[in-house]
Amino acid sequence: MSAINYRRVGYRFPDGPVALDGIDLEVAAGEVLLVVGSSGSGKSTLLRTTNGLVPHTSGGSLDGEVVAFGRTTATHKPRELADVVGFVHQDPEAQFVVDQVEADIAFVLENLGYDPATMRRRVEEALDALAIAHLRDRSPATLSGGERQRVAIAGALAAAPSALVLDEPTSQLDPQGADDVLAALGRLNADLGTTVILAEHRLERAAPLAQRVVHLDDGRIVAVGTPHDVVAAYEGAPSVTRLGRTLGWDPPPLTVRDARARATELVGALPVATHPPPVGALLVEARDLSVAFGARRVLGEVSVEVRRGEVIALLGRNGSGKTTLLRALAGLQGCEHGTVERHGTVAYIPQDPNTLLSAPTVRREVVETLRLLGRTDDGQVDAWLDRLGLRGLADRHPRSLAGGQRQRVAIAAVAVGDPDVLLLDEPTRGMDAPSRHALESAMAAHAASGGAVVLATHDVELAARAATRAMVLGDGDVVASGSARDVLSGSLFAPQVLRVLPPFLTVEEVEAALTYREAER
Amino acid sequence: MEVRSTTASLRSWHAATWLIWAVAAATSVQLAPSPVYVAVVVGIAALVVGSYGLGGALARAFPLLVGIAVVFGLVRVLLTAATTRGVGTVLFTTPAMTLPRILGGFTVGGPVELEVILRVSAEAFAVVGLVAAFGAFNAVVSHYELVQTVPRAFYELGLVVVVALAFVPATLESIQATREADRARTGGRAVRRGRLLRQVVPVIERGMERAISLAESMDSRGFGRELAGHREQSAAWCGLGALALLGGSFVALVARAATTAAGLATGGAVLLAAAVVLASRASGRPRYRARRMGVADWTVAGISLLAPATLGLVGLAGDSSLTWVANPLQWPAVHIAPLVALSALLAPLVLRPPERRSVSAPAVVRVEIGVS
Repeated sequence: MSAINYRRVGYRFPDGPVALDGIDLEVAAGEVLLVVGSSGSGKSTLLRTTNGLVPHTSGGSLDGEVVAFGRTTATHKPRELADVVGFVHQDPEAQFVVDQVEADIAFVLENLGYDPATMRRRVEEALDALAIAHLRDRSPATLSGGERQRVAIAGALAAAPSALVLDEPTSQLDPQGADDVLAALGRLNADLGTTVILAEHRLERAAPLAQRVVHLDDGRIVAVGTPHDVVAAYEGAPSVTRLGRTLGWDPPPLTVRDARARATELVGALPVATHPPPVGALLVEARDLSVAFGARRVLGEVSVEVRRGEVIALLGRNGSGKTTLLRALAGLQGCEHGTVERHGTVAYIPQDPNTLLSAPTVRREVVETLRLLGRTDDGQVDAWLDRLGLRGLADRHPRSLAGGQRQRVAIAAVAVGDPDVLLLDEPTRGMDAPSRHALESAMAAHAASGGAVVLATHDVELAARAATRAMVLGDGDVVASGSARDVLSGSLFAPQVLRVLPPFLTVEEVEAALTYREAER
Repeated sequence: MEVRSTTASLRSWHAATWLIWAVAAATSVQLAPSPVYVAVVVGIAALVVGSYGLGGALARAFPLLVGIAVVFGLVRVLLTAATTRGVGTVLFTTPAMTLPRILGGFTVGGPVELEVILRVSAEAFAVVGLVAAFGAFNAVVSHYELVQTVPRAFYELGLVVVVALAFVPATLESIQATREADRARTGGRAVRRGRLLRQVVPVIERGMERAISLAESMDSRGFGRELAGHREQSAAWCGLGALALLGGSFVALVARAATTAAGLATGGAVLLAAAVVLASRASGRPRYRARRMGVADWTVAGISLLAPATLGLVGLAGDSSLTWVANPLQWPAVHIAPLVALSALLAPLVLRPPERRSVSAPAVVRVEIGVS
């Protein structure tokens, strides 16, 4: 039975650009459908047509028809579909109405007019289904990102909708939070038969959940099929899949477990080339930094040296002190004791790029920094726009861009001032694969030209590909430090390629080794 | 001050009880503005936040609110000390300047007097007491529960206010982050020109984005599906009318127009009765775990109200310690009766709130039905 039917759906934003074009798609009841595509490919817009947010709240003109469980969105507003389609937003911060978890979950039930006894039962069930019963009396503002997102899902689930639509629900979360959310979705689908439509960038976790994957590009469907078929050909495929492609495995694996089973004979058979870590001049030297917020110790006697040519990845769970350390290096955070000596300029790019963006176009945003520094544009603006793949977006309004694109604009706007050290806080949140690649090569270029980069990140794949050195923070202490390979090798959260084919960290390294072996023969 | 862990169960008093407590505390400050008594009220308010603070952004804003009140108080003391002189002890003398006529023509500077400073400080501290009472109320009350206790017809409006309140702390955080980002962008170099624009635009745009996504989230969760019924709206209008007429009769009473006052009061009473009848007939919006004021809630509310009532009586009996007069110089007096009266404000701390249970859900469905 078809649960949701998109019939020749086209959509044009009120200010002009076409976001969707000729989408024909049927989603079966009980199916998990994964929607993939780069930033700005129309994923969000497609999901938002499902319960009529597009076009009822967004404006613009919708062609074709979306029918969800027999109700067409042409005549039904989102609120009239709330009992059949639950919608979860990307930003976990901006979707709570009531400052208490339990009452917020009940909000939809009150609106739908259920009797108190049913409401009570539904709320208890929703709390259990997402394993958040212990959070019932908390304020959403005090929860971690993963907890918040599970509360938001419970808030949609309480109405027992036949379908849940989730727009990149894990893009703002750390790996643990993302795993919790995706595991919960898998459970809901398996146990309750809830239809799930999900847009995601973290395919290594999401793809195994899905029965079908839709690949969107430029508002059109380029491929629909099983996860193996679609993800294998997708440029944003997880590292294991790309590894499988490189090694000519057919079908390419989607999970580390699949890949490991096939890699047994290759482990140890490939030559490993190691590069000595770069040792340049000292740029920043921090000694025994200690920071406390009230009674809570955030950093305890942390020492860091940043040298020219280095890309240092700071790893560690939420609240382990990564951001505080970056802020201390940037001079934004006062320290109880300890010293920071800077032998060059240091610039910091905050986690939320929105705090930086104030200009009407991307180009003017980047030019603004030069103006503030009293310099003239000698081609740096275009150079950074190119490096971060922003040339095509130069005349767009920064606020009209997707999250990952905005992040790149913020990075360009700071990096154009040519600071010696770039401090990046969680730069890949919400970024798609092309954005990540652009960022990685920009970081490498900055380090190669005598600068240095320090990035706080949850993304071990990014650390594996880009970092020359890694530091793991835990509870305000440095718990591991050394070359990226040494630090990540001993970790439970090692990058995918390392878990499949140690000691290789990245697909690129495996490719180089294969080429080398060919040349040897 | 130990703030209770946010994971602890949310056993608290009814929102209406807290409202009555806050009004009682604020009235007490008005009736006994002597700094000693105000300090007692501020202390009780801090204890209340410590034991019942909800852990949300508004609870964390309590010290901030009190801080703002203190800063405003200090500014007021400075301004008054610079412009007022009576016949008191001169502490020191600053250069004086008489403002031109167009700016008021008064003199700024000159002798600074101890009595003036003390008197204005005491007044400013009373304002801090008021802010502490309502700050504590905001920190401990579930605003949503408060909205749920208002008549159905005001629900939408009330919810908008609650959501707007939640935006205040988020906006403060946003301002802080934007200011930092602006500094960090240039590697710590501060550039004044155009700074206002760079710091204001992101805050406004972020606020707009949050508002839009919240509106979408509310819409997706069925908000506004059914609006208040005809009867509920009539009840609301009757209620508003009653308030207006009763207020008018109070004004008329103050103006000594007894006949008009009586007429307005009668009209108000009739409308009020109509509002109650209409509201009770309306079906109402189903409420999740709706809570009624229990005996314990009424007890705490009643005891809290004893504080201003007793203070009023003590004042009528001619107690001189309630208001502190700094001229001639003397320490504020402390009497036992006002202290006893103020101790009634401890009621929500001394008594324990009842176990939270919903009045409408029968015990049978409280069995936990898990999926996992």
